[in-house]
Amino acid sequence: MKLNKFKIGLLLTIIITFSLSSCVAVKEYEKVYVNDVDMKLTANKINKFETSFQVYREAASGANGGKAGGGCGCN
Amino acid sequence: MTKLNITILAIFCGSILFAQEKKTDTVFKKRVLEKTEVDFLMSYYTQDGNHAAVTGGIGTEKLNDITPTFIVAMPLNDDDVLTAEIGISAYTSASSSNVDPFDGNAPASPWVESSGASAADTWVNGNFDYSHSSDDRNTVLGANLSVASEYDYFSIGFGGHVAKLFNQKNTEVSLKANVYIDTWNPQYPAEFRAGFMSSPGYDTNYTEFDKLGRNTYSLSASVSQILTKKMQVSLFLDVVQQDGLLSAPHQRVYFADKADFFIEDFHLADDVERLPDTRFKLPVGMRLNYFINEYVTFRSYYRLYTDDWGITAHTAEIELPIKITRAFAVIPTYRYYTQTEADYFSGYNTHLSTQEFYTSDYDLSKFNSNQYGIGLRYTDIFTKLKIFKLGLKSIDLKYSSYNRSDGLNASIISGGAKFVLD
Repeated sequence: MKLNKFKIGLLLTIIITFSLSSCVAVKEYEKVYVNDVDMKLTANKINKFETSFQVYREAASGANGGKAGGGCGCN
Repeated sequence: MTKLNITILAIFCGSILFAQEKKTDTVFKKRVLEKTEVDFLMSYYTQDGNHAAVTGGIGTEKLNDITPTFIVAMPLNDDDVLTAEIGISAYTSASSSNVDPFDGNAPASPWVESSGASAADTWVNGNFDYSHSSDDRNTVLGANLSVASEYDYFSIGFGGHVAKLFNQKNTEVSLKANVYIDTWNPQYPAEFRAGFMSSPGYDTNYTEFDKLGRNTYSLSASVSQILTKKMQVSLFLDVVQQDGLLSAPHQRVYFADKADFFIEDFHLADDVERLPDTRFKLPVGMRLNYFINEYVTFRSYYRLYTDDWGITAHTAEIELPIKITRAFAVIPTYRYYTQTEADYFSGYNTHLSTQEFYTSDYDLSKFNSNQYGIGLRYTDIFTKLKIFKLGLKSIDLKYSSYNRSDGLNASIISGGAKFVLD
């Protein structure tokens, strides 16, 4: 039951993302805002330490563009 | 004859055009990374709580950790980049010290730190990544290798990744596969070691683990999309399968249906944690960033996590970078996390000896947490400040306070300086 809810959520997220992706393509010279340092679609480098302790102190990990498991005696 | 001339002329002109087009591509091919970049990062982490897993769900969780890390990204040529990361994590842990609480300095107790060999350890980690970008910069291929070692754990990992950009670089799809081959060097609680003088009648479920390996296989997919001139989104999906020794051999468990034996104030364990030897994890995450104006950007992250140990977790995070001047930015952050408990979790002295799996590790219990943070960033795009041949590009500082609903509190100070090699 839990997995079914999860699958529905996942499917909705994918549908929404790809629906939004049908927007008009932004040209290279129009990317000044999305190329801003704060617009990066990754976590900032110094956040790696926070992510590391969260992997130890919480059961969930992954889906953040980084390591998804292994490499430590953590959860 | 005229037709032949026209054909020759057409081929000639076509060749010139093709040659010029090719030449133009070569001239304007931008290096993936212009210069070598060096990051020096450091954090200091401290925590305290009263549910230590080493002492079966009660006892001090006091821990301090300092983590100097170097990251060097080197352009090998126009297309290839090699990134090397070397990190150390040196920690002292009150709960780990109580793997052997009978050091004779003070009465043994889960609430008192021991001075044994397990009180401190150092984790050393190295990651190496090579990536190659195609001439049109629409394809990136790469491979990575990682090694990590501490006293009771060793890990070697390797993997590959590919990214493809489409739609005038508005869409990026990437795939990553990794394998980690890990091995425990188990440090069992002192009462289970040979030569330990226990009380008469002390009877346990304890047997040593016969398989000490832990393998992790992960497949990660992500899609990034520019939605408008000021908004972009990214979707992450990881599929993770683990097998092997997923229990921590030094974490005690106490059974409600067994007699309790104490030495000084310390409760002798009935067994160590026993968890299934497989685990399937399925996290899906999403980032959405919006450029509000030249001063403020909205950054958000959400993750839904589930696994076959019965845990479902939600993570939501917001960052609000505010540019005070061209050089300085302040970054307030907030993160909320909640999880259900694992099927095998129960608190101190509540498990039954007839169960197949059991743990009193509160990291696998039901809880929620709040994390507040504030960051400060200094940026100098002209790298005017020089230290030898290194030009300072940016400095980051961040403080975060983490509060878990089971009483565990933590603080972390992180800092980083990025240099560019002239």
